[in-house]
Amino acid sequence: MSEMIKEREVEREVEIKIDDVCMSFKDNNSNDVQALNRINLAIKKGEFIALLGPSGCGKTTLLRTIADLLEPTSGKVRISGMTPKEIRLQQKFGIVFQNPVLFEWRTVKKNVELPLEIMYWSKVERKKQADRMLELVGLTKFADHYPKQLSGGMQQRVGIARAFGIKPNILLMDEPFSALDEFTKEKLHDDLLKIWRETNKTVIFVTHNIQEAVYLSDKVCVLSPHPGRLSAVVEIDLPRPRTIGMKDSIQFTELVAKVRNSFEGGSL
Amino acid sequence: MSKAKKIVSSKPFIMLVWVLVLVAIWEMGAANMEKTKRTPENVLPHVSQIVASVFSDKMVSNSQTATQIVWSSAEATLERAFIGFLFGTIFGFLMALLMKLSGLVEKTIFPYLMLIQMIPIIGMAPIILAITHDIGTSRIVIAAILTFYPVATNTLAGLNSVSKEKYELMYSYAASKWTIYRKVLIPSCIPYFFTGLKISAPMAITASILVDTLQGDGGLGCMLSQSLKHAMSIYVFWQIVFFSAFVGILSSVLMGVIEKRVSPHMRADRKRRKKV
Repeated sequence: MSEMIKEREVEREVEIKIDDVCMSFKDNNSNDVQALNRINLAIKKGEFIALLGPSGCGKTTLLRTIADLLEPTSGKVRISGMTPKEIRLQQKFGIVFQNPVLFEWRTVKKNVELPLEIMYWSKVERKKQADRMLELVGLTKFADHYPKQLSGGMQQRVGIARAFGIKPNILLMDEPFSALDEFTKEKLHDDLLKIWRETNKTVIFVTHNIQEAVYLSDKVCVLSPHPGRLSAVVEIDLPRPRTIGMKDSIQFTELVAKVRNSFEGGSL
Repeated sequence: MSKAKKIVSSKPFIMLVWVLVLVAIWEMGAANMEKTKRTPENVLPHVSQIVASVFSDKMVSNSQTATQIVWSSAEATLERAFIGFLFGTIFGFLMALLMKLSGLVEKTIFPYLMLIQMIPIIGMAPIILAITHDIGTSRIVIAAILTFYPVATNTLAGLNSVSKEKYELMYSYAASKWTIYRKVLIPSCIPYFFTGLKISAPMAITASILVDTLQGDGGLGCMLSQSLKHAMSIYVFWQIVFFSAFVGILSSVLMGVIEKRVSPHMRADRKRRKKV
């Protein structure tokens, strides 16, 4: 009995609950296009979740309904019992897009400070936090550079530092690395996992790259297109911390195969 | 790139070539005029003669040399151009903000603003003069009208250049409209705003000179037409022409200098990353 209680304590609480979420758009000929069809998903606090699928499967749409950037046609999203809008108004979302979306007239450090200014942090606290975040992503030496002086990978690192810097409850990442080359991407994967481990945030990571999804996450949610639906949730039981060598392990290869096979439609 | 090629394609070199070509064409014209046995000074003097006239002590009117006339009449013209430019800039910027804030304002006002731009100033100037009854005021008004439009359109383009993702990012921070304007929209439109200023600064000066010609009340434009009519000295005419051209270019360059001062990220070298 006492063991069962312990077990339940270890069990992390569900933070995000997605209930029967449907989403339909009108296309150019005003036909209904179903982007999301009855999505049900529970995401636990501190989990790293990948939303994986080919383009048009609705993975970004699903992310946007969580972020309160889109309202689902039916069904609901609850985060710690609250609506996405309430969470957004409490400034608990950190977002990273495919483009770094930096403000070119601000230095790297000032970019990281921007959301903190909006959230009325004191000047001293802002500076301290920005320094800390830049150290985490290894950009301390570039603090006073302007975005255009940095490479694409460095710019995306600034974006990540900014997103984690606001101490969000939930990190929403929309294909953040898909524009980067393979080498930069691998480096950023490890950086991201390091920051995630140190900050222990819930991360929802949208990607179309199977290896990336498997390497990073606790669970891979596989979405299939037409209509966008959740076809499988694959638990990734690779040990943590993950290292680049694991990509060559049999276990990793098997998981990649498992994820690939769980796509419906067979077009892959 | 070889060293010689680098020099040839450098900006100062190209400018030097341009100046030399223009002077050469000018001199060819002046030499031809001399052959026609007209008094050359009255039509097309040599460049050297114009330059010499700048430093000459010869009185061309009762008490002033050519250069003194230019300087004294420049003051009124440039001062009014500057005030008009300032007003036009402020109104243009505010109008751009207003159009950005309200789609209705943009739809109802913007297409008609373009009409003002289409009326030639030469036609507009007498009307404004008739309304204001004062040459000084109408200089300011005309300069402001001409400044207003490039500033407003460019600033609006800048405000509209902000990417959707930047808005979404600000939305996710639950930023207020005021915050978005202050932290994102206004800084984003600054380069566009300065593009507007670079266009309109010389226009404001041109406008002010043009208004001068309407009334014999001093100013560069007034002197310009008088020096032609009264054969006071052809050098006053040419000095004013060169002076105006120079001030016009200078005003535009000045805007660029100010822009670099207020936006340090433009000074940062893209290619040469600081070695760290």
